[in-house]
Amino acid sequence: MTAADLLAVVMVIGLTAYALTGGADFGGGVWDLLARGRDAADQRRLVSAALGPVWEANHVWLIFVIVMMFSGFPAAFGIVGSTLEIPLICALAGIVLRGAAYVYRAYGAGAAGPDHWWGHVFAISSAITPVALGVCGAALATGDVTEGDALAPVTSAFGIVCGVFTLAVTAFLAAVYLCRDAASSPETEHLVPGFRRRALGGAVVSGLLAAALLPLLWSEAPVVAERFAERSVPFVVISALGGIASLVALWQHRFTAARITAGAAVAGVLWGWAAAQYPDLVVGRATVDSAAAPEANIVAMLIAVACGLVVLIPSLWMLFRLFANPEVKS
Amino acid sequence: MVHAAEVLSHVAALAQAADPPQASSVSTNLARAQTAFSLAFHICFAVFGVGMPWLLLFVEGRWVRTRDPVWLALTRKWSRAFAVMFAVGAVSGTALSFEFGLLWPAFMARYGGVLGLSFTLEGFAFFAEAIFIGMYLYGWKRLSARAHWLTLWPIAIAGTFSTLFIITANAWMNTPGHVTEVDGKVVSAEPFAPFLAATAPHQLIHMLLAALMCTGGIVAGVYAVGMLRGRRDAYHQRGLRVGLAVLLVCAPLQLIVGDWAARVVGNEQPIKLAAMEGLGHTRTHAPLTIGGIYDEQTGEVRHGIEVPDLLSLMQGLSADHEITGLTAVPPEERPNAVLVHSAFNVMVGLGMALIALSLVTGVVVLRRRRRGERPLLPTGRPWLWAAAASGPASMLAMLAGWEVTEGGRQPWIVYGRMRVDEAVTSSSGMPAIFTGTILLYLGLATALILILRRMATGGPELAATVGETSTTPDIPDARPAPASPDTPARVRGDGDGGDGPGTSAPTTPRTDPSSSEGDAR
Ligand code: HDD
Ligand code: HEM
Ligand code: HEM
Repeated sequence: MTAADLLAVVMVIGLTAYALTGGADFGGGVWDLLARGRDAADQRRLVSAALGPVWEANHVWLIFVIVMMFSGFPAAFGIVGSTLEIPLICALAGIVLRGAAYVYRAYGAGAAGPDHWWGHVFAISSAITPVALGVCGAALATGDVTEGDALAPVTSAFGIVCGVFTLAVTAFLAAVYLCRDAASSPETEHLVPGFRRRALGGAVVSGLLAAALLPLLWSEAPVVAERFAERSVPFVVISALGGIASLVALWQHRFTAARITAGAAVAGVLWGWAAAQYPDLVVGRATVDSAAAPEANIVAMLIAVACGLVVLIPSLWMLFRLFANPEVKS
Repeated sequence: MVHAAEVLSHVAALAQAADPPQASSVSTNLARAQTAFSLAFHICFAVFGVGMPWLLLFVEGRWVRTRDPVWLALTRKWSRAFAVMFAVGAVSGTALSFEFGLLWPAFMARYGGVLGLSFTLEGFAFFAEAIFIGMYLYGWKRLSARAHWLTLWPIAIAGTFSTLFIITANAWMNTPGHVTEVDGKVVSAEPFAPFLAATAPHQLIHMLLAALMCTGGIVAGVYAVGMLRGRRDAYHQRGLRVGLAVLLVCAPLQLIVGDWAARVVGNEQPIKLAAMEGLGHTRTHAPLTIGGIYDEQTGEVRHGIEVPDLLSLMQGLSADHEITGLTAVPPEERPNAVLVHSAFNVMVGLGMALIALSLVTGVVVLRRRRRGERPLLPTGRPWLWAAAASGPASMLAMLAGWEVTEGGRQPWIVYGRMRVDEAVTSSSGMPAIFTGTILLYLGLATALILILRRMATGGPELAATVGETSTTPDIPDARPAPASPDTPARVRGDGDGGDGPGTSAPTTPRTDPSSSEGDAR
């Protein structure tokens, strides 16, 4: 395994962390958008309380992945930057609006327009970003990127289904996480059934979309599909088992277990894709080898990552422990 | 004033001359404008991410030690403003890292690896900052007062380190070394290349001081305005004092570092120095020209004040020291000296004005102390006006400084190695992207200003309440039992986002941190 390979693995780990933390935050926005019924306001409050202390930290995983990409595989970043403009800009607009709207709602006290407007901005932009990121992922797999045709990634059926799938997955994760958050305090217990229903629904929708993706993968991204069949079966099995186990755990109200199994289901998908993608970064355009920065720089980055994690992991652990149970103001 | 119209038309003509209309130049100019705009937007918030934690360490530290509620009130107010500005800084920073790829794909493709270590380490610094900010902002009730204060240390240190790392990247773009290229491809790069850049030490220290000055100045300015409106309580006086002290201590240091910077620039980027000083022709006995407009036709500065020999003296300690002029390089390799010289004048002029304020204040404070007068800081209206202006002045100086550094490097994106027009995207969508970005940012900035203005007017009632509460405000020291995280205090809610995410708080819109402390008892 070369240093560049190792860096690619680190990137996939970062991406997994982003999906499991930041992804769920986006999903939270989706449920904010879809909050319905008598206790819609309570639902929104729970979403907001669960996000509060961690959203800044969660979204740094994305920066981490981007930085790895442009420092470790600069040539690939150049290609991505000049061909995936439209989805990247949508993702970016979503991230900017979402972060700003969240704090404006939390701290604005109505000074810059009613809080619920910002709530809607937050919710809508939360839904845009995962779709856009899913579209980007699909384009890397199909290699369907040309400098002249900015619209190609967003008009491909595979890309669109991938985007919707990503959205469904984040919503599923968020609902699972919220079940546990709601169950942890008597004040929010009444929200459990609603989120449980959403989590079950999210699992089913994600599963169906995954099934729809497979044939598209074969027709649109044959290179990746072939490697998928060769290498990714173990990950697919993990993902499927995780999905089924989540359904069972949710059914039995075992929400902590459901968090773990849901995480495994999502991570399985990501790793399955990553394994099939290797060694291509952008299929047909850039591989791990061809796009890599000089070896010495990658080694330096890997050392920096190792040192950084020594600081980071205990800090993250403290953060999540401190806020294990969100506080909800009624 | 006399020649305003003439000057304006002159500037316009020069600006046109500087940008010959080529096919790709529209895209390049828009990409440049967008980069400059988003960087300027970002940096205006980033400086608070760097400076505010250090100020908070001081005020909250005072509270932990003295349990004086005025210090707590300052801490609470500042931490809320900090929360909003940090978030905007974070999202605009994320936008920057996307934009590098979107706007400058060729630059990233070629040099991304060189800057890798800087950006990776910076990523970790951000991460640490974001984690501890989560604990700080939402941990009021879950951490002991002391532990809460302690979380500020990693925030402050990480913010300072993120400046270190990002500045090394920028410094390398100014003075790129330790990298070998063959046919436009980097074949080997020392991992520490950015850290070894000749401009890194002064850029870093200059920027850190600038961040502290901007934070101090804006804080002082907010309280000075409050006092001008007649709110002269302990809360406002202390806020003013802390902000102003930081600003006025850093201002003279900034001159020393700036002088050092100019000397390094003279050695490493002589054309940038020439643009800063508006020096057209290489010569000895070079004068220092203050003010005025550089004239590209004659290579002279018009309407400026010339101090004979001074530039040569400052750069080489001798009037015979030769200074390179702009005409030493062909026209297409010269930066826009009109802009750079003006920006340099703005920065140095404002810096000098702040130093003057700092000296005068220092003298007055010393005299008052000798005579035993209180308060030490003068609080007459002219003083307050000066304090109020010091924040915007620092911000403007900081932005002008960036224009000098970045504009003076033109037309290079990486000095001597890659030109801006080689680095730019070929996208045809630039006009749309640019318009969208500007609209988005302007919208966000407007909303933010409205929110901060509302926050800033929360002071007087707060100070009044605080004055009456003589006992320690109750912030429970222990984490509540997990089973019942809600204490009555929290159920009541204080609409203070600092204690948790503010949902559309049904309490008073004018949030007032101290009132909840009152409620809770
Ligand atoms: C003064 C030093 C300084 C400078 C020159 C820059 N930044 Fe910055 N940046 C900060 C100081 C900072 C900070 C104080 O550390 C911020 C502000 C708020 C925050 O989240 O951290 C930050 C945030 C921030 C973030 C978000 C981090 C997070 O989510 O917490 C990113 C991705 C960047 N920046 C990227 C950049 C890039 C690509 C720059 C180069 C042009 C840049 N910054 C210039
Ligand atoms: C690591 C840090 C930085 C990097 C990598 C960087 C990169 C760039 C790039 C790619 C451009 C566009 C090309 C050009 O016009 O030269 C640029 C221009 C510019 N940047 Fe920087 N920059 C950095 C820091 C900053 C910061 C923090 C500011 C502060 C506001 C800033 C202010 C500007 C300005 C004003 C321009 C436009 C200059 C002009 O065209 O006249 N830069 N920079
Ligand atoms: C008082 C006299 C000052 C002098 C002689 C001075 C000198 C300089 C010089 C020569 C540069 C260019 C450095 C380079 O390109 O490598 C610079 C950049 C800069 N200046 Fe100043 N400066 C002064 C005051 C200030 C003040 C008051 C501020 C802000 C509060 C400020 C903020 C900046 C910034 C942000 C930069 C660009 C980034 C950097 O180099 O760190 N300067 N200054």
